[in-house]
Amino acid sequence: MTSWKIYTPEGVQDILFEECYVKRIIEEKLRNLFRTYGYNEVETPSLEFYDTFSAVSDIAPQEAMFKFFDPQGRILVLRPDITIPIARTAATKLKDEQSPIKFSYIGNVFRYNELGGGKQKEFTQAGVEILGIDSPEADAEIIATAINSIKALGIENFQLDIGQVEFFKGIMEEAKLSVQDMELVRTLIDRKDFLGIEEIIREHDIDDKLKEVILNLPGLFGSMEVIEKAEKLTSNSRSLAALQNLRNIYSILEDYSLEKYVSIDLGMVQSLNYYTGIIFRGFTYGVGFPVISGGRYDKLVEAFGMKSPATGFSLGINLVMMALDRQKINYKMHGTDSLVCYSNHGRRAAYGLSQELRKQGLVIEMDIACRDLEKAKEYARAKSIGGIIYITDESGIELHNIKTGEVTRTSVDELLNK
Amino acid sequence: MRYLKIALSKGRLADLSIEFLEAAGINCSEIKDPGRKLILSDEKNKVQFFLVKPSDVPTYVEYGAADLGIVGKDTLLEEGRNLYEVLNLGFAACRMVVAGPAELAGKLDKLNNKRVATKYPRIAREYFEHKRRESIEVIKLNGSVELAPLVGLSEVIVDLVESGRTLKENGLVILDTIADISARLVVNRVSMKMESERINKIIEGFRKQLEEGAGR
Repeated sequence: MTSWKIYTPEGVQDILFEECYVKRIIEEKLRNLFRTYGYNEVETPSLEFYDTFSAVSDIAPQEAMFKFFDPQGRILVLRPDITIPIARTAATKLKDEQSPIKFSYIGNVFRYNELGGGKQKEFTQAGVEILGIDSPEADAEIIATAINSIKALGIENFQLDIGQVEFFKGIMEEAKLSVQDMELVRTLIDRKDFLGIEEIIREHDIDDKLKEVILNLPGLFGSMEVIEKAEKLTSNSRSLAALQNLRNIYSILEDYSLEKYVSIDLGMVQSLNYYTGIIFRGFTYGVGFPVISGGRYDKLVEAFGMKSPATGFSLGINLVMMALDRQKINYKMHGTDSLVCYSNHGRRAAYGLSQELRKQGLVIEMDIACRDLEKAKEYARAKSIGGIIYITDESGIELHNIKTGEVTRTSVDELLNK
Repeated sequence: MRYLKIALSKGRLADLSIEFLEAAGINCSEIKDPGRKLILSDEKNKVQFFLVKPSDVPTYVEYGAADLGIVGKDTLLEEGRNLYEVLNLGFAACRMVVAGPAELAGKLDKLNNKRVATKYPRIAREYFEHKRRESIEVIKLNGSVELAPLVGLSEVIVDLVESGRTLKENGLVILDTIADISARLVVNRVSMKMESERINKIIEGFRKQLEEGAGR
């Protein structure tokens, strides 16, 4: 039998030094940004009951979840998402909390994804949720947070597409299609398959004006004119309300001066059982998948026993890292500033000096390998360490600049006072 | 400007695509004489082409390694990728059908255990399990699928049919049509948004070519 001990399963990765450093910087930037908007971070378990997620098949179909059994025979899963656990938490533990409740999270999720294009089976999501408020203000804040998050990471070339699932639902209601046909139309619109839609619409006895909207749906994306065009095509009140809602959100985003990042796509009709209002996706160069996805989901919290509107987004950190890499946006890793070398009788001074310099925020390595000066220089060069502090005796030290080879003699006191 | 990348299906489909690409103002001289190069280009328009195996086109496009692709609907159905399917180019037209011995005509329902031989296991499953709501046993073959019912390997086959001659010569008949097949223009979901101007120009060029072709 093959021993797998030196391998990792497909779809999970070791993240080493520099990459891990960049990932932590991204996470820190996002964590700080979320905090400055008043979102409070939460952690939910990696392991949950299958039932928690099975209520919402749109987000995590059962085929996509990693499953186990507990000793009582109940099915456990590795969380495929963090929004659903947050909804569970809110409905069961935060019933009496004053609205809005603002959550943020950064954590790993697990899905049997097909690999490729930056997709992994274990990946990190960062996101925020606002529970308890159903106003356009809340949706606009979520979108603004999403835009500012991606900007904070240094990506300027991106686009956020906003749709409204109620627009589509209103049209389907009016067309009175069967559930199967509706699903078929939805899939075709989602694929922007104009011809497929034409074929299916021709077969049905639908009002001409309505036919025109459905045929136009996959092409209803672009600037705000799309909304005007859609308004002219539509007469049912549910769809018109959806368009008005988009207008309201857009005008808030104009007040925030963020409209240049935003465009409209009324053909976004994914996860219709989950989303109940706006839906949005964020795109950038270098990744074939959206790096951000979000929207309004007013029915989810109710599945756990409390009625509460909700809106939020999540950002795929691994996908963003791929985009940063492809767009050549580099975070320079802050390596070791100085290596402190010492002999036995200099140890006390070496430790004292290192601690002082670390307090000042410098990265100091003590030469625990106890090499001679030449070997220490070799190590410093290999690790791009800027300089060596060589403790000659209790107070005298030599500073060796690795790049220039320059040597300066000074004392501990003098160095610390500089 | 970054390169717009187009994945083409190696072989006949690529040759037939040239007319459309040229109508969209793209210089195809490198595709006409590809040699052994894997990446071909039109430097003036900043367009690159990959000639890949047809069944790989949807993969390249879904993952964004290519922005656009030209590929048969059969491949799209079989691969089931998440992309935009924006234009039916009409060429390479044929049908995906269920075929079997003539005595099965109209009696497909009566067959208890169905063994289906095909090069397209996913399409066969989709059709039988979702459309007909029947369980099947799929036997994946790589060619000469028509042979399977003749030698008792399967009851029926799911395959592409152009003229129907091979079926006829082997005593098989079409039992049902699953889908009409032809070449499609597909676009990556992110590229459609990030490069909308250039991609729309290509779609428009293709569309014009289609209309002209229809008028001929």
